[in-house]
Amino acid sequence: MTDFSVRSDSVDVEQIMSQIRARIREKRGVDYTEDEIRRIAGVKLEQFLDPRAVRSGLLEEFRRRQAAQRVETYAFEDTTLYESHRPVVRLVRRLLNPVLKLFLNPAPVAQVLHLQTKINDRLLRKEDLDYEVMSNLVVELTRLGIEVKTLKMRVESLSARLDFDERRARALEGAVQYRPGALAPAVPAEGEEAEGAGAEDGEADAQAKSARRRRRRRGRRRGAGQPLAAGAPGSDAGEPSDGSDQTGVDESGAGTPGPGAPIPPRAEDSSDQ
Amino acid sequence: MKLAVVVQRYGAAINGGAELHARYLAERLASRHEVEVVTTCARDYVTWRNELPPGRDEVNGVPVLRFRVDRERDPREFGRRSAQVFGRRHSLAQELRWLESEGPASRALLRHLAGATYDFVFFFSFRYHHAYHGVRAVPGRAVLVPTAERDPAVGLALFGPVFRGVRATMFNSFEERAMIRAVAGGADLPGVVVGVGSELPESVSPERFRQKYGIRGPFVIYVGRIDENKGCKELFAYFERHAESRRDGLSLVLVGQSILAVPGHPRVRHLGFLPDQDKFDAMAAAGALVMPSYFESLSMVTLEAWGLGRPVLVNGRCDVLRGQCIRSHAGLYYESPEEFGEALWALTDNPVLNAALGRNGREHYRRHYAWPVILRKYEETLARLQQEDREGRPGPVLEPLPGWWARRRRDVPPAEEVLNGVPAGPVVPRRGGGARERRSER
Repeated sequence: MTDFSVRSDSVDVEQIMSQIRARIREKRGVDYTEDEIRRIAGVKLEQFLDPRAVRSGLLEEFRRRQAAQRVETYAFEDTTLYESHRPVVRLVRRLLNPVLKLFLNPAPVAQVLHLQTKINDRLLRKEDLDYEVMSNLVVELTRLGIEVKTLKMRVESLSARLDFDERRARALEGAVQYRPGALAPAVPAEGEEAEGAGAEDGEADAQAKSARRRRRRRGRRRGAGQPLAAGAPGSDAGEPSDGSDQTGVDESGAGTPGPGAPIPPRAEDSSDQ
Repeated sequence: MKLAVVVQRYGAAINGGAELHARYLAERLASRHEVEVVTTCARDYVTWRNELPPGRDEVNGVPVLRFRVDRERDPREFGRRSAQVFGRRHSLAQELRWLESEGPASRALLRHLAGATYDFVFFFSFRYHHAYHGVRAVPGRAVLVPTAERDPAVGLALFGPVFRGVRATMFNSFEERAMIRAVAGGADLPGVVVGVGSELPESVSPERFRQKYGIRGPFVIYVGRIDENKGCKELFAYFERHAESRRDGLSLVLVGQSILAVPGHPRVRHLGFLPDQDKFDAMAAAGALVMPSYFESLSMVTLEAWGLGRPVLVNGRCDVLRGQCIRSHAGLYYESPEEFGEALWALTDNPVLNAALGRNGREHYRRHYAWPVILRKYEETLARLQQEDREGRPGPVLEPLPGWWARRRRDVPPAEEVLNGVPAGPVVPRRGGGARERRSER
């Protein structure tokens, strides 16, 4: 569900909209508004994009060229040929029009020029469209550039965390494996494996069972003298729990270290923010 | 009182915004006054072709007088003249020729108005031929319902004297009033922001709609003409993007005639034109109404959604819709695909917010757009005008058209340039006070 703070008796639409915008900014990861991105795209493109790939000031140049090459367009109608700012001249031209038509036919001329005006108009509109497309592309490219930068930073941060976690996991594994008085490693020693896996497996099983029995006995003895804290695993049932539970180091070695377990190196621990 | 309602098209099956507005008003005023509708024989607002018989008619008990349109619109000529007056420096004569090419020109209608003895005449839609020349035919008795959107026609020099010269203007919204005031030279125009009510059914049944049309799961609805000019293309793009990013099963249901290809997305359903009861059932069943239009003088369907207690999601670039949402606290708005997605999610995923906005909408509708409120405002305006007439107080004077030479002087700025100079943004309540201020945000 969306997390807007809405009181059922009073809703402020402008406030909700500002919350929505804040959420969009958060999602984008970078606190740039649409206007800011446009400004960035228009002014300092090279700060965000690779200048070798995209020319900075592309839009500016395009705009300059467009302004320099813009042709003044005008409407051309069938009456334009005879128009004049002096009404008398216009009247005379109109009166003499039938005479002119005896010498040449002005209609196709007017028609062609009218068509040309339309073509000019269309070309100008196309230029505007080109500019708009270019402008949008540059804005989009800038936005993507910013996003890529943000994502890069995020990836770097994630890989740093991953490295740290791996180091920490290794340190913990090492601490469990080599603590004083811990179990012998479950993996058979080199050489034994080469001689006969079946026999050794049986021997290892027997060793493990006897070790488990020893642990259980130790646990019972300790359990009689030191009751478990309330809420600790196994305490509510009143049943003696497995020795591994009590020491806090389970078979996998991933549990919380118990009182007897060595504390992992502090530097590793404290840096886990 | 003997009143006339003059509108470009009129009929029970004609559902354009201004035309429906005129019909609702004529039918309501007819219960208290002697009302006659004066209109053309046209049914199509693009061609103005004479399709209905001229002469007397009756629609829902209201007498209607139809006049033939002199000539159909030539779209090429209209387009060329529009480009000229909207985009280039031009003359007043060229604007008049633009108006002529826009239509619907009916000399017979204007002659009738000039000779008739109505106490007051309501003219709908300022931008058409009948309204401009009609106001000049009955000076001192004209009341204008401009239904003006933020389009370049408002910036034509032709209409300034009309806005300043009518006895009263019935605005649809505060944004419309601010815009018309600005283009009329900042004059304090006599009039009131009134809007229009709607005919909501006594009861609605969301379940009936779901069963009848086989719609399951949550959905938002768009009601109206499916047209690029209404922002539908953008709506489709935004919704598809939202559907890709959130697999919440939300559908978009479209109600209305389509002149734009509807995408074949599995979560977009087009139901076509629905009868009124089904339309209202659908709106009641929807999580919210989406209104993507960029230009509206007043969205009746938005008001209907509020009347039914449903929240709305509107295009924030439309000043009127955005202003209404802010003032009513009954809807959210968007200006980008991200905002669309987040606002849509907020509306459909948060039942507390949805219910609160819906409640506010219902209350806003009841306080401002219920018919008793609308009619009271009209009656007060008519009473004020009658009082002024009795006291012999002169109303605004309609400026005459400039002379032959002045009309042909090419000194009128392009309408688009004029409109760009008009402050934009919604009108929102001033913090801690009742007065309103206009904010220019774009």
